[in-house]
Amino acid sequence: MTRSVNEVTGLAVKAARGAGAPPAQAAQFGAAAVVHICAGRDVQVLGAALDALPAGPIIEYPLVLARIAEAQVEGIAEGAFEVDEEELARSYIEALPCQASLTTDCVLHLDLNRPAERRQLPRIELPDEVHAKWSALAAKLLVPESDASRISGAGAGLTDND
Amino acid sequence: MKDIFGAPPQVPLRPPGTVMRLSRMGAMFPTRLSFLRSLMRRLAAEQVKVTQRDWQMCEDGFGHAVFSVDLGGYTYSLVAISTDLPPELRTDRVIATAWDSAYVLFDGIPDSDDIARIKANAPLQEAGRFGPRDLILSRANKSVRLFAHVVEALRAGRQPDADMIRDVGYLMRTTAVYGNGKFGIADRASFDTREGLEGPFAAEMLTVWLIRHFTHALVEHVGQGTLERETKRHLGIGNSTGLGMAPFLVNHPVLLNNWMLARETALARVLAVEVLTQAQKARIEVLANRATAHLAQWNVPDPAHQARIETLRSDWAEAVQYLSADKLDAPHALSSAMHSTQNMSEDVQELLASLLIEPFGKLVDGLTECMADPYGAFAPPLCDTEKLKAQIEAEFDWALGVDYDAPAHCGQFWYVSEAKMEPRLGLRFSEEGAGLESPLDIGRRVACAYADLPAQSEPVSAFLTRHPDHALAVERVALSQRYAYAEIRDNLICESCLPIDMLRCKLSFFGASKFDPKSDRWTRITLCQGAPLADELSEGVADDWWLPVFGS
Repeated sequence: MTRSVNEVTGLAVKAARGAGAPPAQAAQFGAAAVVHICAGRDVQVLGAALDALPAGPIIEYPLVLARIAEAQVEGIAEGAFEVDEEELARSYIEALPCQASLTTDCVLHLDLNRPAERRQLPRIELPDEVHAKWSALAAKLLVPESDASRISGAGAGLTDND
Repeated sequence: MKDIFGAPPQVPLRPPGTVMRLSRMGAMFPTRLSFLRSLMRRLAAEQVKVTQRDWQMCEDGFGHAVFSVDLGGYTYSLVAISTDLPPELRTDRVIATAWDSAYVLFDGIPDSDDIARIKANAPLQEAGRFGPRDLILSRANKSVRLFAHVVEALRAGRQPDADMIRDVGYLMRTTAVYGNGKFGIADRASFDTREGLEGPFAAEMLTVWLIRHFTHALVEHVGQGTLERETKRHLGIGNSTGLGMAPFLVNHPVLLNNWMLARETALARVLAVEVLTQAQKARIEVLANRATAHLAQWNVPDPAHQARIETLRSDWAEAVQYLSADKLDAPHALSSAMHSTQNMSEDVQELLASLLIEPFGKLVDGLTECMADPYGAFAPPLCDTEKLKAQIEAEFDWALGVDYDAPAHCGQFWYVSEAKMEPRLGLRFSEEGAGLESPLDIGRRVACAYADLPAQSEPVSAFLTRHPDHALAVERVALSQRYAYAEIRDNLICESCLPIDMLRCKLSFFGASKFDPKSDRWTRITLCQGAPLADELSEGVADDWWLPVFGS
């Protein structure tokens, strides 16, 4: 079964939040995760990143990227991207909203004046075990309904025969 | 803005500190920039024809139908499924599991296998599974009272009661219109560069308009008669919307900015008009009278909101004096009229803003091309905490100085319910679940980050290394450099926060009217009321249905 990119992105974001990532970092992980999967890279790396929370690449990569970006001069920045798990790092770079390129000697160039070119990502075959794991993590964010919330939480009436 | 080169003159924009307050957003009316209006103009420009490709309905109106349109070089088909729903299962809430009707907007013309697949899955809605050619998924329930009445009238060879048509205004109301990949349907990015579907929610609006067309066909089929054209045109499509829609505005700050900026730019251009032509003056008079008539026909069961409408009627009677013929003869008459209402209610001001934009299509319609968000959240970084601090003080002053520990300022929390995985709003001090709060508390987050800023400036990355939880706040502050209208400038977790205001803002951009709040967190509305019928897509009719009035 194929899934939409937006479905998988949303699930990855929720999984990261369920695993303990703050919201902004979880959103960056979600964007990188679909790039990673669509590029045919090792999906296990994504699971390992989730397992590493509250440390690991989901927290570290955004900081590395921020350090490089904040050294910008007139919107152009560059810096070494010397981090482990290069495959996931590459997915983070490719998911950036600005133009970005990584040299073979691991120097990242950012053009903060220009948005990244739009890419059409294909639909995604997410392995069942990955889907199950991410869904379980995402479920940690869900609040069980109570009688009170069922009546008032969405605010609507219970029947609408009008 | 796309037309920045050679852009028309404009007065200064209303500041975000005024426009982005929740109470004002909750007073918004649809404008000619609303998505349904721009879609109708597009359909009219292409002289779009609706083709009924399939109609397999029993005499009681249960079965399926397929309607197709050609737009921008592509064919889209609405597959509609009508089922016999026991009354006890009819609820507008998202927890419902069955509906009177279900719909898929299909990419192309569905073959028999496609139709069989959609018939098996669409009635299940969230429990179904969909594919890349399914662009939009929706469902709708009947207004049983009006549907039955119209059927009875048509079968008796007469037209339905005009008062009922006016008071209800739709035969069915949708309770969800899902897009962008939900439940496996197509990602918006897979079709949002197609001509005609580039705008925000364009595919959703096309679906809604086709559903309305289907409801007309269905009631005429069951009633075995034909509705008069004016009656049919006034029968829009209802919608019942709850909290699920509210977080969208917080989670899509650039989109919110682009919508609001387009509308404010339109108003600023109109207010810069120095001298009105006779035709413009006449048009404003017609619209002012139409607004008066529309308000008179807008009645709701909720006493508090009905009282608000009645106050607006009274205030509007005063405001239209600023649009009298002699006043409009003066230079800068529109700016003067807007200025004259500055001490009146936000309801009046926003109604007037909506009206003033209406006659100036040539001046403002191009702005609709700036309302999408093709690049996502993208802003230059704030490099050090001194710049971060200054930006917070400049753009988030509304968030500072609030005691977020006080129950009045943190009494509510947003969460996602386990039952339907939909957004909900809980009471922090009397309900469980605050530990799983959704991050819609932007004001509180920015204030917390501000409080933790170091005395000595340092790189923001160093600050975030110590405080990773502040990353979202830093991101939103950075966005504010480029997107001034991206943030709702109110505390969304305070006891007095009314989610209905967020719903009304978003729905007004859809083109909704006749807001009918059922509580402070869900509302019914009417879409497409007065919109052209499928055989009326000539440009004149297609673009004159702002605040429709029935029977006048």
